[in-house]
Amino acid sequence: MRSSEFWLVYMLLLLAQLLLGNYFTFTPYLMLSILPVMVLCIPIRVGSVGAMLIAFATGLLVDLLSEGVLGLNALALVPVAWLRNPVIRLVFGGELFARNEDFSATKSGIGKVALALFIVQAVFTLIYVWADGASVRPFWFNATRFGLSLAAGFILSLLAVPALAPDTRR
Amino acid sequence: MKRRAWLPAAISLAVFILLEIASLHILSRNADLQRVWIARGAHGIMGAVWGSTQSVAEYFSLRSKNRQLAQENFLLQKELGEARERLHQAGIDNMEVHAGRGFEFVPAEVVKISRKKQHNYLILNRGFEDGIKEKSGVITPGGVVGIVDAVSAHHSFAFSFQNNDISISARLGKEGAVGPLIWDGRHSNKAVLREIPLQYKFSPGDTVYTSGHSLIFPPDIPLGTVGAAKIINGATNEIEVTLFQDFKTIRYVSVVHNIAFDEIEETDL
Repeated sequence: MRSSEFWLVYMLLLLAQLLLGNYFTFTPYLMLSILPVMVLCIPIRVGSVGAMLIAFATGLLVDLLSEGVLGLNALALVPVAWLRNPVIRLVFGGELFARNEDFSATKSGIGKVALALFIVQAVFTLIYVWADGASVRPFWFNATRFGLSLAAGFILSLLAVPALAPDTRR
Repeated sequence: MKRRAWLPAAISLAVFILLEIASLHILSRNADLQRVWIARGAHGIMGAVWGSTQSVAEYFSLRSKNRQLAQENFLLQKELGEARERLHQAGIDNMEVHAGRGFEFVPAEVVKISRKKQHNYLILNRGFEDGIKEKSGVITPGGVVGIVDAVSAHHSFAFSFQNNDISISARLGKEGAVGPLIWDGRHSNKAVLREIPLQYKFSPGDTVYTSGHSLIFPPDIPLGTVGAAKIINGATNEIEVTLFQDFKTIRYVSVVHNIAFDEIEETDL
């Protein structure tokens, strides 16, 4: 996938996230986010620091343009970018970095992609729910919100993977 | 040249920490709930850090401290004995002493104190495992020192009376007018008693006490003495108060908590 194509898809999914955040708020127990998969799929050549800066800017932009607390998405998304390389190395192996190649569901297997996605989605949701609750919400509320949001976000993100990380093999 | 493999990881970690701090800063400035949450977390960390360094320093001064505490204990026991004797002679052995009734007292030591800011604070070496609760008062024999804001297991963070945000309900004499007492913002032992109606007479040297109108401090704790006064807008007096407690010398304090605090707060809703 060419760089310009990726960033076009990235911007479109960012728009989709804004729509999700502003119009798809069904219950306080559910927070829908596809931001973790967007950060996970940032091309490897961007590097860890670059990914963190992009994640920070993306988080702030979403906070600014949706009905949230400014800083909350940025706080939860930066750790995803920081853990992105270790997660990719753990799940897909170090060869991707050696070849400077991005993963895709066809090339790496849907199981591995789902595992990597689950890890980053869990990290993001955990921090988001924890910080949003600010220690004033009861544990059961946070736990329910975490479980539902993780499940819904994971399914949505799986749907976004083919657009962000298409198979480029000829 | 040998490649520094750790450098990219260190840069990545540094950027990560910076961005997270920036996010927390933005979050705390835009949401009240998160601001309190972040402040409590930060205060807890500060308490733990300063408590640890203080523990090392204390280890080397235990002998002299024990001697000092033993001396203080001896003097207190002596005073208690004399007071009991006086009560006995007056035939009022069973009279209940009202000062401080309804409050729990926990002794604590100041492990860190700031005095150079407009929003000063104290960190005490006692936490919730020692019975300290939030919204407790911090006092010394010389008066009021602060209010506990956040509590960790072994440390407490308190806003100092030397803080622009803190005011204490104080009374002129034991039966005089009540007004807010606030730090003058400059001296370690000066405060200002405001909103005292003009019809109340007072003289330089009169004592100022806690009023007991707040839930945090017991009544009748001597705070300081009256100094110069000036009339504000022709309506009230603003009185300079020289505090008994000089904040430069604070070390041992007592934390007081109103046993009925939660109940009264709920009733007040």
